[in-house]
Amino acid sequence: MYPKWLWPVFALPGVFWLILLFLVPFYAVIGVAFGGVDPVFQTPVPAWNPLEWDFTSMSETLAGFLPGGEYWSIFLRTTEYVAIALTICLLVGYPVAYYVSRHAGKSKSILLALLVLPFWVSYLMRMLAWVNLFSPTGFVNEFLIWTHIAPHPPDWLNGNPVSVILGLVYGYIPYFIMPLLAALDRIDKSLLEAARDLGASPSEAFFHVTLPLSKTGVLGASVIIALPMFGDYYTPNIVSGSPQTSMIGNQIDIFFHGGPQPSVGAALTLVLSLFLAVLMAYYMITISRAQREAQA
Amino acid sequence: MTEAVVRSRPVTVRSPLRRFLDWARNPWGRPRFLVLVTWLYVFVSIVPVLVAIQFSFNAGRSVTAWQGFSLTRWYWGDPVNSVWHDPTLQSTLFQSLKLAGLDMLIATPLGVMLAIGLARWRGPASGPSNFLMLFPLVTPEIVSGVALYLVILYLFTFIEPGTIAQVLGHVTFSLSYVVVIVRGRLFSIGRQYEEAAADLGATPWETLRLVLLPLLMPAIFSSLMIVFAISIDDFVISQWLSCGAGCDTIPIRIYGATRAAPLPSVNALAALMVYFTLAALGLAYLLFRFMTRGERPGQGGHMVHGMGGGL
Amino acid sequence: MSGGEVELINLVKAFGIARAVDGINLHIPGGEFFSLLGSSGCGKTTTLRMIAGFEQPTSGQILLDGVDMTGTPPHKRHVNTVFQSYALFPHLNVHDNVAFGLRRAKVGDAEVRRRVGEALELVQLTGFETRKPAQMSGGQQQRVALARALVLKPSVLLLDEPLGALDAKLRKALQIELKQLQQQVGITFIYVTHDQEEALTMSDRIAVMSRGRVEQVAAPEEIYEAPATVFVADFLGVSNLMMAVAEGADSAGRCRVRLGEFELRAGRGDQSMSGNTKITIRPERVRLESHGSSGENRVPGMVERWVYLGNAVQLIVRLATGEKIQVLMQNTGDDIPFTQGTPVHAHLPAEALRVLVDSGVSAPAAKGLDLAAS
Repeated sequence: MYPKWLWPVFALPGVFWLILLFLVPFYAVIGVAFGGVDPVFQTPVPAWNPLEWDFTSMSETLAGFLPGGEYWSIFLRTTEYVAIALTICLLVGYPVAYYVSRHAGKSKSILLALLVLPFWVSYLMRMLAWVNLFSPTGFVNEFLIWTHIAPHPPDWLNGNPVSVILGLVYGYIPYFIMPLLAALDRIDKSLLEAARDLGASPSEAFFHVTLPLSKTGVLGASVIIALPMFGDYYTPNIVSGSPQTSMIGNQIDIFFHGGPQPSVGAALTLVLSLFLAVLMAYYMITISRAQREAQA
Repeated sequence: MTEAVVRSRPVTVRSPLRRFLDWARNPWGRPRFLVLVTWLYVFVSIVPVLVAIQFSFNAGRSVTAWQGFSLTRWYWGDPVNSVWHDPTLQSTLFQSLKLAGLDMLIATPLGVMLAIGLARWRGPASGPSNFLMLFPLVTPEIVSGVALYLVILYLFTFIEPGTIAQVLGHVTFSLSYVVVIVRGRLFSIGRQYEEAAADLGATPWETLRLVLLPLLMPAIFSSLMIVFAISIDDFVISQWLSCGAGCDTIPIRIYGATRAAPLPSVNALAALMVYFTLAALGLAYLLFRFMTRGERPGQGGHMVHGMGGGL
Repeated sequence: MSGGEVELINLVKAFGIARAVDGINLHIPGGEFFSLLGSSGCGKTTTLRMIAGFEQPTSGQILLDGVDMTGTPPHKRHVNTVFQSYALFPHLNVHDNVAFGLRRAKVGDAEVRRRVGEALELVQLTGFETRKPAQMSGGQQQRVALARALVLKPSVLLLDEPLGALDAKLRKALQIELKQLQQQVGITFIYVTHDQEEALTMSDRIAVMSRGRVEQVAAPEEIYEAPATVFVADFLGVSNLMMAVAEGADSAGRCRVRLGEFELRAGRGDQSMSGNTKITIRPERVRLESHGSSGENRVPGMVERWVYLGNAVQLIVRLATGEKIQVLMQNTGDDIPFTQGTPVHAHLPAEALRVLVDSGVSAPAAKGLDLAAS
């Protein structure tokens, strides 16, 4: 019906765009990371030819990730923050997604709209709102003083890890709930009835049917938010701004915007990408599987 | 076996106590704990934003203490510090709108063609291209930001950091979203209409223009609006490719202001962004509904999923 | 037969203002194969779901072996269900699917293995223990669903159109198997279906439902041969409904009915009836005779259409009164002399002609509601 060459011609501009502005830039990171440093100006000299690669920056960076190394503690801290934030997202997000998917009844559509809403309020806007609330004179502290829960409330916004973790949760939990909700919605309701019919109490039906069937949904949703969390630098900067709470993203940011060491920054970016490669691969597989299912 | 049935299943009359417990547990009703958690979450997720918007209408200079209502002061009323009169705030507003507009106009047609091409092209390079399209969706923004920053610094040196670089960056990450949305629509409409058109004597060009394009319109419109929304919300790519104060966008400005002592004008700026985004999405939703009216329910599902699930 | 006796008393289920089930009274003795038959939306599935406990009745009572179960949640009822789409747990293999209920009942491991083995043997699936549902055919999945429900030794098994997803040939085979299985385990089966043939083949008794009410409860032969209402006659296949005027019984006790200008005798149904009503006769009971034959209950007509069905020939005959009736003649290999356009006399034997109660479809079924049966 259509000439054979038509579809590749349609795809070509987009594919070229992605090659030029996604693949090539990624190669630029590799080139800078394995490049040298100009002896006079201390600026990076990228090496585009793999045969000319200089492994100094890379090996130094990798060594930094060993216990006791330069990045060891920041790496631990990042992992710790992300892990705790993920756990909180799970503990709050799962019940919410479960309720909206299973029991919301008539209020389901309004709840869905309310859950989608934060998606479309800029992340930075939400962080601004958070900072306003937690500022020394903000509502949270006024409330704590007024109710005498804490007459001398803590300084939330200066190097407080609790704020950073809560900030991450607040920022990313909408992206966790929505895909999880979609996964829970896909579970056939008659499976739960079957479980109840076979003698499972509501909680047994949940633990033996809903939970195992939503495992991939939880995993997918966790990966979706873990990826940007690992690369986050703005959240710790906004709600804390202290080196005490900085994450890997902050370290990369500093190498480019604070110090003249882009080659180290590039190496660090590369290490982060490699570290996240498993998660990225998992996410890509789930997306393409969903697309194949839509196609079928 | 019937004997066994009777023995293994002693049946007792339900006592009033059991009846009460059954009622309290409400076996057919909603678990009360979940109701509480859900509405609490909704409250916590939305109220701070509403409070921040509220302070954009503060009559005073504080973002934490309410000093009376002023509809216009921080939007355009204040001759020095309002969004409209403070040149740095005004320029960020225009920069954001400019980027979002250009992104919309470039990424949507490019993405629509890419989606159609990728969905139908069966060749040796189609698999890898499909794979490539997914990368921007899963790559942490900081990695994309660093990569684009380095490539214009050391390789594409003819591009300066600034508006053009920012647009290129925005289009790169928007493209995949357009592909996902349009592809969903492509699969839900199938090939039958085009086959019917060809059967009725339409040339390939006529089929594309008179059948496929109109059928894709709802997806194209939602793509336009969603690209606008994600572009105006973007912080990381805009920041890494910024030329300094002159190409700051609203999110960059908010980022800079939160650590300083912000005025309600920053809240007003952020609130404007929320209005724009919600207006774009509301429009997208209404247009989508309007354009797919009469189709079987459920076909619009990918719109919601495109907007929420999986992305 | 003891155990598995189900009683529904004035059962009502309303969704908003719509009444899906509108006052049902049924008594199903233990060990019976009982079918709820009706078109979609007649309330049969809602009734089943109330017995299972998935829906709470708006009013009325559900008694299981004399005990009120109305407020009992599904997992505490000694009733198990075979779902329409089987609802096999996709994350569990066959063994674990069947063992699911036993494990909830805290049955010991050895006992679980033994009973799962027995149940799978019962449905002839021994050896399939480690398969996942997705790796099985529709018929096999159906058997797993059966085994999973039966392994708990319920006193009542509920089946919600369990054969609906299968192809015609497999459905026929499984109908026979299901009936055998029910006789083997001896428990009550309550079977929901919209397929009259399925209900007639398997059931001990059938309740025909329409608009949330029961139209008739009777054994298959009676439902088929002696439909009590116009709805039942209509629903159970072609049955030549004709408008007529009843004029009470004659001296022989048969109803005098007027069909156009012809006066007929109807030997079945409510023979003391008078006034406007409908009469019916099964297509296979009509006798076609050559034009001009005389005698009681003969109406002239003309063959309008002749349809070859393989094992039978279906003839559409337009009677002189204007009514069109279907006539089914067995294909015995002999020639059937009534080709298209042949004038004939249709003999509607009095002993096959039935006077019906026109319940107006939604009217309550006054007849055949045998609460006190068995």
